[in-house]
Amino acid sequence: MSSNDNAASDAVAGTTVAEIDRDEAFLEAVADVYGETRAAFVRRLAVGSGVLVAALAATPEATAANRDGKILNFDLVFEYLQSSFYLDAVDVGTIRRMPREKERWARVLGAHEVAHVRILKGVLGDKAVKKPFFDFHGVTESEAEFTRTAVAMEDLTVALLAGQAPRFANRALTAAVFSLLTVEARHAAWARRIAGFVPVDKSIDGAKPIAAVRRVVASTRFIAARPRTRRRRHPRFTG
Amino acid sequence: MLYTVRERKGNGRTIRERLRGGHDLRREDEGHVDAVEERAGLSRSDVLKGVVLAAGAASAPATLAVLRPESGSAAASPARDRQILNFLLLLEYVQEGLYGHGVRSGSLTGELARLANVAGEQERAHVAALERALGASARPRPALRFGSVGSDPDRFARAALELEETAAAAYIGQGANLTAGAIADVAGIVSVEARHAAWLRDLAGRLPAPRAADRAQSADVVTARLKEVGYVVE
Repeated sequence: MSSNDNAASDAVAGTTVAEIDRDEAFLEAVADVYGETRAAFVRRLAVGSGVLVAALAATPEATAANRDGKILNFDLVFEYLQSSFYLDAVDVGTIRRMPREKERWARVLGAHEVAHVRILKGVLGDKAVKKPFFDFHGVTESEAEFTRTAVAMEDLTVALLAGQAPRFANRALTAAVFSLLTVEARHAAWARRIAGFVPVDKSIDGAKPIAAVRRVVASTRFIAARPRTRRRRHPRFTG
Repeated sequence: MLYTVRERKGNGRTIRERLRGGHDLRREDEGHVDAVEERAGLSRSDVLKGVVLAAGAASAPATLAVLRPESGSAAASPARDRQILNFLLLLEYVQEGLYGHGVRSGSLTGELARLANVAGEQERAHVAALERALGASARPRPALRFGSVGSDPDRFARAALELEETAAAAYIGQGANLTAGAIADVAGIVSVEARHAAWLRDLAGRLPAPRAADRAQSADVVTARLKEVGYVVE
């Protein structure tokens, strides 16, 4: 993790969870799972220990809990992907150039995805996977491409979370993931309306198994194995 | 030190600063759910009890006593599924009824009329899905009355949004109480309720996604509110 990431996550720790997860619905849900007060849970988040990991040690069904952790880690990769996507669009100036209402849409979605990363990392603690490297192949630089991809990504997240909700051994995680699923569904509906599609095109959202979501993500080639260079003397884009 | 070009561009600014630009992401949004809670006389901490305890909140009306976990343990079971799915089915009946009422009123125009048609059909599909999941255990269709809600498009839109928000929160509240099979049945429904809520909010000029994680509502609070609005004829 670079120092830049550390600074960023410090900023998020102090602000995003409190400001964006205003009602602390997710935190409250997760804190309840482990019989802690919300305040104790937030303290643990702040010191970076994993609530889920702590719970694993205490539960006899470590295998089931381990599987829960794997599911959450896949969600975390997806939230990394989404938050990086919106942040990248901010950094290359695409979001700033959009009409005001659309700009607000993109910024709010980005803020929520950053909050989701923070929340999942807090739950997973040192079991959390590291952030992969992303290469968006210029998609974030074109408003049309960015918008189309955002719609697809939000719809895909809905399908992913709907498919995972029944799979948690710890049912309280299902409830907690529901509270994220509805937010991703709001994002998807909002994105679709922004892009000129009908916000709700199915009576019941389909669920996608992890393998199917993996294939879609792989087809985008957004997740890069490694950055091509470790350091650049001169930035490729000077904005 | 390892960083990419774009991280370097963002350097010196926090993620929050990068995302916010000139926008106030904290813009207050008076959600209907908030209003419901205030009317129900609940304190903020009551509301934040959380989803695990949601179904077990104290002072439930007798009709919902069945949803309360016995002796504090909330084991999911097929019998409990039936009780919970019937509770959710009632919400779907009411939503289907309200959209039908709005469409028949003839007062809706433009995108709101389209929304009422689309969402109404989708609520009908939710009713069918829950009836199918419940089989012979499905509760009977309730008698409904919506008075003059449909005569004013703004009033209709507010009523529809409140029902959508309430339904989404009710599903989240039951997420911890259902068996895996029942969760699979409802996971694609709760997300559609949230999509409807976002669409209605957007039409009303409100933030479609006002928080990063949506709240749960207990069956008690939802039932109390349903009684208050009086759509279900007792």
